[in-house]
Amino acid sequence: MSPVSMAMRQTPLTCSGHTRPVVDLAFSGITPYGYFLISACKDGKPMLRQGDTGDWIGTFLGHKGAVWGATLNKEATKAATAAADFTAKVWDAVTGDEVLTLAHKHIVKSVNFTQDSNCLLTGGNDKVLRIYDLSKPEAEPQEIAGHTSAIKKALWCNNDQQILSAAEDKTIRLWDKNTKEAVKTLSFDASVSSMEYIPDGEILVITYGRTIAFYKANSLDLIKTVDAPASIHSASLHPEKDFFVAGGDDFKLYKYDYTTREEMESYKGHFGPIHCVRFSPDGELYASGSEDGTLRLWQTAVGKTYGLWKCVLPEELSSENSEILYCPPAEIKA
Amino acid sequence: MKTPVSVLRLPSGPEPNSRGFDPSSPRFTALCSSSSSDDDDDDEEQQRLRSELRQRFLWTLSLMKHKLVQFDMHERVRMRARFGASDLDVLRLQVSELETPLGVQREALVRSQDVLACSFEL
Repeated sequence: MSPVSMAMRQTPLTCSGHTRPVVDLAFSGITPYGYFLISACKDGKPMLRQGDTGDWIGTFLGHKGAVWGATLNKEATKAATAAADFTAKVWDAVTGDEVLTLAHKHIVKSVNFTQDSNCLLTGGNDKVLRIYDLSKPEAEPQEIAGHTSAIKKALWCNNDQQILSAAEDKTIRLWDKNTKEAVKTLSFDASVSSMEYIPDGEILVITYGRTIAFYKANSLDLIKTVDAPASIHSASLHPEKDFFVAGGDDFKLYKYDYTTREEMESYKGHFGPIHCVRFSPDGELYASGSEDGTLRLWQTAVGKTYGLWKCVLPEELSSENSEILYCPPAEIKA
Repeated sequence: MKTPVSVLRLPSGPEPNSRGFDPSSPRFTALCSSSSSDDDDDDEEQQRLRSELRQRFLWTLSLMKHKLVQFDMHERVRMRARFGASDLDVLRLQVSELETPLGVQREALVRSQDVLACSFEL
């Protein structure tokens, strides 16, 4: 850590606009126009934001119930959302227009595009995984059954040849997309609260209870586990795999060294439990979504000039030429 | 004591009257094909219809004032109340003498997103 980082205190950027808890968020890949962030909210109105600043771009209007899952394709040209109105929707992420509504038989919790954006995977309370071919939306989806409880998260992995799913039945299953058979099943004592798949390195990050666990995605072999001070709802591994961040019930965000598993920092800021946390594709920041209805952006390297954060040396603060418009007040301890 | 990191400004929030996706943004103009005049006509017609629907909705809200309104909620719950007003975003409805399964509430705010339907006599 640089000397500047050590002297600076993290200033999270708060993105307001949602009126209910933010339950899911996802980043796009890096596009010629930067990268983007979508947030799923119980108010039924998922929002698209510019990833590095948190600036609001648009709201996807159409769902008639809480939105439980949201995702963007790599190019940020398409978005998909999963909602309590028993539908998953596909959107044009440039115009904000609704492109497709996929009716389900129960609450939909998770949506995920393949790398080529041609197929959409959905999973939800009817316990069935569905694969939609977006070039033939009228066609019946392929179905994969097996979970005995509601599916919370479903992800493509291993070059879109396999599927990972986590359900309330306290299992994570690895499926072959073609045979639709479960290749491997992991059982836990507690329900898995979140799952993140890192294609580069084939790592699966899962959280349950107070534990953050790392597995090899293609074999589901355990790599390592780390226990946090409080119940964790979500965790994310940095693209360079040197840190990971986690958040949960105690409203705090924790940053850990992935190699040593030591807690490096913890940050207060949210006014409610943290439901989701993800690193940006360039690893420069991470976003957290909370029960308090906000998204917050946090710097990986505190004090670095990036996005809306500006590195200001002490001499510059009193300079007449300073372009700084806003310096956050000193933290008031409750 | 550590100095907090400075920021240039705060992230911009949603516009109150728009769903966003600014058509003049570089990304929009680069990725979306230019609209023909047919599209413009369709847009105008859609806009006219939307304005009409919005007007009717607002008229309905103002006609509801002081009237006895029946609210249909989830789990087949029906409540009657005297309607007062709606907030600006129609997120909450101010009512009086709300007849709930747990008793009558003299003054209450009903979360509009929880209401499936409401009806009243003109």
